[in-house]
Amino acid sequence: MADPAQVKKDGGMDTPAEEPPGTDAQDTSADSAAVSGESTEGPRPTVEDEKTVLQKDSSAGEDGEGSSGLHPPAVKKLKVEPEKKKEKRQKVDEDEIQKMQVLVSSFSEEQLNRYEMYRRSAFPKAAIKRLIQSITGSSVSQNVVIAMSGISKVFVGEVVEEALDVCEKWGEMPPLQPKHLREAVRRLKNRDQIPNTKYKRIVFH
Amino acid sequence: MAEEDDDTGFDEDVEDGGLGADGGHGRRKRLFSKELRCMMYGFGDDQNPYTESVDILEDLVIEFITEMTHKAMSIGRQGRVQVEDIVFLIRKDPRKFARVKDLLTMNEELKRARKAFDEANYGS
Repeated sequence: MADPAQVKKDGGMDTPAEEPPGTDAQDTSADSAAVSGESTEGPRPTVEDEKTVLQKDSSAGEDGEGSSGLHPPAVKKLKVEPEKKKEKRQKVDEDEIQKMQVLVSSFSEEQLNRYEMYRRSAFPKAAIKRLIQSITGSSVSQNVVIAMSGISKVFVGEVVEEALDVCEKWGEMPPLQPKHLREAVRRLKNRDQIPNTKYKRIVFH
Repeated sequence: MAEEDDDTGFDEDVEDGGLGADGGHGRRKRLFSKELRCMMYGFGDDQNPYTESVDILEDLVIEFITEMTHKAMSIGRQGRVQVEDIVFLIRKDPRKFARVKDLLTMNEELKRARKAFDEANYGS
Protein backbone atom coordinates (compact mmCIF):
# COMPACT_ATOMS: atom_id res chain seq x y z
CA MET A 1 0.00 0.00 0.00
CA ALA A 2 1.35 3.37 -0.86
CA ASP A 3 0.08 5.00 2.32
CA PRO A 4 1.95 8.20 3.09
CA ALA A 5 4.77 7.13 5.36
CA GLN A 6 6.65 10.38 5.37
CA VAL A 7 5.65 13.68 6.84
CA LYS A 8 6.91 16.88 5.34
CA LYS A 9 6.55 19.58 7.97
CA ASP A 10 6.71 23.10 6.57
CA GLY A 11 7.96 25.75 8.89
CA GLY A 12 4.96 26.82 10.90
CA MET A 13 2.16 25.68 8.60
CA ASP A 14 0.10 22.73 9.69
CA THR A 15 0.34 20.81 6.45
CA PRO A 16 -1.27 17.40 6.32
CA ALA A 17 0.65 14.22 5.61
CA GLU A 18 1.42 14.35 1.94
CA GLU A 19 2.01 11.54 -0.48
CA PRO A 20 5.73 10.86 -0.68
CA PRO A 21 7.12 12.42 -3.85
CA GLY A 22 7.76 9.53 -6.18
CA THR A 23 9.76 6.70 -4.75
CA ASP A 24 12.58 8.70 -3.25
CA ALA A 25 11.04 9.30 0.15
CA GLN A 26 9.80 5.76 0.32
CA ASP A 27 13.27 4.56 -0.46
CA THR A 28 15.00 6.39 2.36
CA SER A 29 12.39 5.68 5.00
CA ALA A 30 12.08 1.99 4.16
CA ASP A 31 15.82 1.71 3.86
CA SER A 32 16.44 3.03 7.35
CA ALA A 33 13.69 0.81 8.70
CA ALA A 34 15.18 -2.14 6.86
CA VAL A 35 18.69 -1.51 8.10
CA SER A 36 17.66 -1.01 11.71
CA GLY A 37 15.03 -3.69 11.99
CA GLU A 38 16.17 -6.49 9.75
CA SER A 39 19.74 -7.26 10.55
CA THR A 40 18.89 -10.96 10.74
CA GLU A 41 18.55 -11.28 6.98
CA GLY A 42 21.29 -13.11 5.09
CA PRO A 43 23.56 -11.69 2.42
CA ARG A 44 22.59 -8.76 0.16
CA PRO A 45 20.05 -7.17 2.51
CA THR A 46 20.42 -3.54 1.39
CA VAL A 47 20.33 -4.13 -2.34
CA GLU A 48 17.35 -6.42 -1.93
CA ASP A 49 15.61 -3.83 0.21
CA GLU A 50 16.07 -1.05 -2.30
CA LYS A 51 14.84 -3.28 -5.05
CA THR A 52 11.93 -4.41 -2.91
CA VAL A 53 10.91 -0.90 -1.99
CA LEU A 54 11.27 0.47 -5.48
CA GLN A 55 9.38 -2.42 -6.94
CA LYS A 56 6.96 -2.75 -4.07
CA ASP A 57 4.24 -0.82 -5.72
CA SER A 58 4.89 -1.56 -9.32
CA SER A 59 5.53 -5.25 -9.25
CA ALA A 60 2.67 -6.39 -7.09
CA GLY A 61 1.74 -9.10 -9.51
CA GLU A 62 5.09 -9.88 -11.03
CA ASP A 63 6.76 -11.88 -8.31
CA GLY A 64 6.95 -15.59 -8.86
CA GLU A 65 5.93 -15.30 -12.47
CA GLY A 66 9.42 -15.54 -13.79
CA SER A 67 9.94 -19.21 -12.99
CA SER A 68 8.38 -20.61 -16.12
CA GLY A 69 10.72 -22.37 -18.49
CA LEU A 70 13.89 -22.30 -16.39
CA HIS A 71 16.26 -24.98 -15.13
CA PRO A 72 15.21 -26.55 -11.81
CA PRO A 73 17.94 -24.95 -9.63
CA ALA A 74 17.09 -21.50 -11.01
CA VAL A 75 13.43 -22.23 -10.44
CA LYS A 76 14.10 -23.12 -6.84
CA LYS A 77 16.11 -19.94 -6.35
CA LEU A 78 13.32 -17.83 -7.80
CA LYS A 79 10.75 -19.57 -5.66
CA VAL A 80 12.62 -18.64 -2.50
CA GLU A 81 13.22 -15.05 -3.52
CA PRO A 82 9.59 -14.00 -3.99
CA GLU A 83 8.76 -15.32 -0.53
CA LYS A 84 11.61 -13.34 0.98
CA LYS A 85 10.46 -10.27 -0.93
CA LYS A 86 6.90 -10.76 0.22
CA GLU A 87 8.00 -11.06 3.84
CA LYS A 88 10.08 -7.94 3.56
CA ARG A 89 7.27 -6.13 1.81
CA GLN A 90 4.89 -7.06 4.62
CA LYS A 91 7.43 -5.94 7.23
CA VAL A 92 7.89 -2.64 5.46
CA ASP A 93 4.13 -2.25 5.21
CA GLU A 94 3.74 -2.92 8.91
CA ASP A 95 6.40 -0.35 9.69
CA GLU A 96 4.63 2.16 7.53
CA ILE A 97 1.31 1.40 9.16
CA GLN A 98 2.79 1.81 12.62
CA LYS A 99 4.41 5.08 11.72
CA MET A 100 1.17 6.33 10.26
CA GLN A 101 -0.71 5.43 13.41
CA VAL A 102 1.80 7.25 15.58
CA LEU A 103 1.56 10.25 13.31
CA VAL A 104 -2.20 10.41 13.10
CA SER A 105 -2.58 9.99 16.83
CA SER A 106 -0.59 13.19 17.34
CA PHE A 107 -2.66 15.34 14.99
CA SER A 108 -4.42 18.45 16.17
CA GLU A 109 -8.14 18.78 15.51
CA GLU A 110 -7.66 20.91 12.42
CA GLN A 111 -5.10 18.49 11.08
CA LEU A 112 -7.44 15.61 11.70
CA ASN A 113 -10.19 17.37 9.76
CA ARG A 114 -7.90 18.05 6.88
CA TYR A 115 -6.57 14.51 6.87
CA GLU A 116 -10.08 13.12 6.88
CA MET A 117 -10.98 15.31 3.91
CA TYR A 118 -7.81 14.24 2.16
CA ARG A 119 -8.60 10.57 2.56
CA ARG A 120 -12.31 10.65 1.99
CA SER A 121 -12.74 13.10 -0.85
CA ALA A 122 -13.22 11.43 -4.20
CA PHE A 123 -14.79 12.07 -7.53
CA PRO A 124 -18.24 10.57 -8.03
CA LYS A 125 -17.89 7.42 -10.08
CA ALA A 126 -21.12 7.99 -11.96
CA ALA A 127 -20.09 11.41 -13.23
CA ILE A 128 -16.65 10.17 -14.28
CA LYS A 129 -18.17 7.20 -16.06
CA ARG A 130 -20.61 9.45 -17.86
CA LEU A 131 -17.84 11.79 -18.89
CA ILE A 132 -15.59 9.04 -20.24
CA GLN A 133 -18.44 7.37 -22.05
CA SER A 134 -19.45 10.64 -23.66
CA ILE A 135 -15.92 10.91 -25.04
CA THR A 136 -15.45 7.33 -26.21
CA GLY A 137 -19.00 6.72 -27.36
CA SER A 138 -18.82 3.19 -25.99
CA SER A 139 -19.09 1.77 -22.52
CA VAL A 140 -16.08 1.42 -20.25
CA SER A 141 -15.39 -1.10 -17.52
CA GLN A 142 -15.55 -0.33 -13.84
CA ASN A 143 -11.79 -0.63 -13.44
CA VAL A 144 -11.28 2.16 -15.93
CA VAL A 145 -13.51 4.44 -13.89
CA ILE A 146 -11.69 3.50 -10.70
CA ALA A 147 -8.31 4.15 -12.29
CA MET A 148 -9.36 7.42 -13.87
CA SER A 149 -10.87 8.88 -10.71
CA GLY A 150 -7.80 7.87 -8.75
CA ILE A 151 -5.46 9.50 -11.22
CA SER A 152 -7.58 12.64 -11.35
CA LYS A 153 -7.39 13.00 -7.60
CA VAL A 154 -3.61 12.72 -7.72
CA PHE A 155 -3.63 15.29 -10.50
CA VAL A 156 -5.68 17.73 -8.39
CA GLY A 157 -3.25 17.16 -5.56
CA GLU A 158 -0.27 17.98 -7.75
CA VAL A 159 -1.85 21.20 -8.99
CA VAL A 160 -2.95 22.34 -5.54
CA GLU A 161 0.43 21.59 -4.00
CA GLU A 162 2.22 23.45 -6.74
CA ALA A 163 -0.20 26.36 -6.39
CA LEU A 164 0.44 26.47 -2.64
CA ASP A 165 4.17 26.62 -3.40
CA VAL A 166 3.54 29.51 -5.79
CA CYS A 167 1.34 31.26 -3.25
CA GLU A 168 3.98 30.96 -0.56
CA LYS A 169 6.71 32.07 -2.93
CA TRP A 170 4.78 35.21 -3.82
CA GLY A 171 4.34 35.98 -0.15
CA GLU A 172 0.57 35.62 -0.14
CA MET A 173 -1.82 33.56 1.93
CA PRO A 174 -4.34 30.88 1.11
CA PRO A 175 -7.15 30.62 -0.05
CA LEU A 176 -5.73 30.03 -3.47
CA GLN A 177 -6.52 32.52 -6.17
CA PRO A 178 -6.86 31.77 -9.86
CA LYS A 179 -3.50 33.39 -10.58
CA HIS A 180 -1.76 30.87 -8.33
CA LEU A 181 -3.48 28.00 -10.06
CA ARG A 182 -2.61 29.32 -13.50
CA GLU A 183 1.03 29.75 -12.58
CA ALA A 184 1.04 26.25 -11.11
CA VAL A 185 -0.39 24.86 -14.34
CA ARG A 186 2.20 26.73 -16.35
CA ARG A 187 4.99 25.22 -14.26
CA LEU A 188 3.59 21.73 -14.47
CA LYS A 189 3.25 22.07 -18.22
CA ASN A 190 6.91 22.95 -18.46
CA ARG A 191 7.70 19.76 -16.60
CA ASP A 192 5.43 17.78 -18.89
CA GLN A 193 3.22 16.70 -16.03
CA ILE A 194 0.10 17.90 -17.77
CA PRO A 195 -0.87 15.96 -20.89
CA ASN A 196 -1.31 18.14 -23.92
CA THR A 197 -2.09 16.91 -27.41
CA LYS A 198 -3.40 20.20 -28.76
CA TYR A 199 -0.15 21.62 -30.02
CA LYS A 200 3.47 20.67 -29.94
CA ARG A 201 5.86 22.67 -27.85
CA ILE A 202 9.02 23.26 -29.86
CA VAL A 203 11.98 22.96 -27.53
CA PHE A 204 14.81 24.21 -29.71
CA HIS A 205 14.20 26.84 -32.38
CA MET B 1 -8.59 27.59 -30.27
CA ALA B 2 -7.60 29.12 -26.97
CA GLU B 3 -6.38 26.99 -24.07
CA GLU B 4 -8.77 27.10 -21.16
CA ASP B 5 -6.17 27.49 -18.45
CA ASP B 6 -3.99 30.07 -20.17
CA ASP B 7 -6.68 32.69 -20.83
CA THR B 8 -6.43 35.31 -18.16
CA GLY B 9 -9.95 36.60 -17.94
CA PHE B 10 -11.72 34.58 -20.61
CA ASP B 11 -13.12 31.80 -18.48
CA GLU B 12 -14.80 33.94 -15.86
CA ASP B 13 -16.26 36.44 -18.37
CA VAL B 14 -17.66 33.82 -20.69
CA GLU B 15 -19.23 31.93 -17.83
CA ASP B 16 -21.39 34.92 -16.97
CA GLY B 17 -22.46 35.21 -20.60
CA GLY B 18 -24.40 31.98 -20.39
CA LEU B 19 -25.96 31.63 -23.83
CA GLY B 20 -23.83 30.70 -26.77
CA ALA B 21 -23.51 28.18 -29.56
CA ASP B 22 -20.22 26.95 -28.19
CA GLY B 23 -20.86 23.91 -25.97
CA GLY B 24 -17.57 24.44 -24.21
CA HIS B 25 -16.44 23.78 -20.70
CA GLY B 26 -17.58 27.06 -19.20
CA ARG B 27 -21.21 26.53 -20.18
CA ARG B 28 -21.62 23.05 -18.71
CA LYS B 29 -23.20 22.57 -15.31
CA ARG B 30 -20.54 22.19 -12.65
CA LEU B 31 -19.98 18.48 -12.13
CA PHE B 32 -17.55 18.33 -9.25
CA SER B 33 -18.04 21.46 -7.22
CA LYS B 34 -18.68 19.85 -3.85
CA GLU B 35 -16.10 17.11 -4.16
CA LEU B 36 -13.45 19.50 -5.43
CA ARG B 37 -13.94 21.78 -2.48
CA CYS B 38 -13.35 18.93 -0.05
CA MET B 39 -10.38 17.81 -2.08
CA MET B 40 -8.78 21.24 -2.12
CA TYR B 41 -9.15 21.53 1.62
CA GLY B 42 -7.64 18.09 2.04
CA PHE B 43 -4.65 18.98 -0.10
CA GLY B 44 -3.83 22.14 1.83
CA ASP B 45 -6.04 24.97 0.68
CA ASP B 46 -8.32 26.98 2.91
CA GLN B 47 -11.49 25.46 4.32
CA ASN B 48 -13.55 27.66 1.99
CA PRO B 49 -11.75 27.89 -1.32
CA TYR B 50 -12.70 30.54 -3.85
CA THR B 51 -15.37 29.54 -6.32
CA GLU B 52 -13.26 30.74 -9.22
CA SER B 53 -10.42 28.48 -8.13
CA VAL B 54 -12.77 25.52 -7.89
CA ASP B 55 -14.06 26.30 -11.38
CA ILE B 56 -10.57 26.47 -12.82
CA LEU B 57 -9.69 23.16 -11.20
CA GLU B 58 -12.83 21.53 -12.51
CA ASP B 59 -11.98 22.64 -16.04
CA LEU B 60 -8.48 21.32 -15.56
CA VAL B 61 -9.75 17.95 -14.37
CA ILE B 62 -12.19 17.62 -17.23
CA GLU B 63 -9.47 18.52 -19.70
CA PHE B 64 -7.12 16.03 -18.06
CA ILE B 65 -9.66 13.23 -18.26
CA THR B 66 -10.46 14.13 -21.85
CA GLU B 67 -6.81 14.08 -22.87
CA MET B 68 -6.16 10.77 -21.13
CA THR B 69 -9.25 9.24 -22.70
CA HIS B 70 -8.25 10.35 -26.18
CA LYS B 71 -4.74 9.06 -25.70
CA ALA B 72 -6.01 5.75 -24.35
CA MET B 73 -8.31 5.40 -27.33
CA SER B 74 -5.42 5.78 -29.71
CA ILE B 75 -3.23 3.04 -28.22
CA GLY B 76 -3.80 -0.64 -27.60
CA ARG B 77 -7.24 -1.58 -28.79
CA GLN B 78 -8.33 1.40 -30.92
CA GLY B 79 -11.53 3.15 -30.03
CA ARG B 80 -11.79 1.59 -26.60
CA VAL B 81 -10.44 2.63 -23.24
CA GLN B 82 -8.94 -0.18 -21.20
CA VAL B 83 -7.14 -0.22 -17.91
CA GLU B 84 -3.91 -1.45 -19.48
CA ASP B 85 -3.84 1.61 -21.72
CA ILE B 86 -4.25 3.95 -18.80
CA VAL B 87 -1.51 2.20 -16.87
CA PHE B 88 0.73 2.41 -19.90
CA LEU B 89 0.15 6.14 -20.28
CA ILE B 90 0.88 6.75 -16.64
CA ARG B 91 4.03 4.67 -16.46
CA LYS B 92 6.40 7.64 -16.37
CA ASP B 93 4.68 9.40 -13.48
CA PRO B 94 5.64 7.55 -10.29
CA ARG B 95 2.91 8.92 -8.05
CA LYS B 96 0.03 8.22 -10.39
CA PHE B 97 1.41 4.84 -11.38
CA ALA B 98 1.74 3.70 -7.79
CA ARG B 99 -1.73 5.01 -6.98
CA VAL B 100 -3.35 3.16 -9.86
CA LYS B 101 -1.60 -0.07 -8.97
CA ASP B 102 -2.71 0.26 -5.36
CA LEU B 103 -6.30 1.03 -6.30
CA LEU B 104 -6.57 -1.91 -8.65
CA THR B 105 -4.95 -4.29 -6.19
CA MET B 106 -7.26 -3.16 -3.39
CA ASN B 107 -10.26 -3.53 -5.66
CA GLU B 108 -9.28 -7.11 -6.45
CA GLU B 109 -8.85 -7.88 -2.76
CA LEU B 110 -12.23 -6.40 -1.93
CA LYS B 111 -13.90 -8.38 -4.68
CA ARG B 112 -12.29 -11.58 -3.43
CA ALA B 113 -13.30 -10.84 0.15
CA ARG B 114 -16.86 -10.12 -0.88
CA LYS B 115 -17.03 -13.28 -2.92
CA ALA B 116 -15.68 -15.37 -0.05
CA PHE B 117 -18.14 -13.74 2.31
CA ASP B 118 -21.04 -14.45 0.02
CA GLU B 119 -19.98 -18.04 -0.45
CA ALA B 120 -19.69 -18.49 3.30
CA ASN B 121 -23.18 -17.12 3.72
CA TYR B 122 -24.54 -19.35 0.99
CA GLY B 123 -22.92 -22.39 2.57
CA SER B 124 -24.32 -21.78 6.04
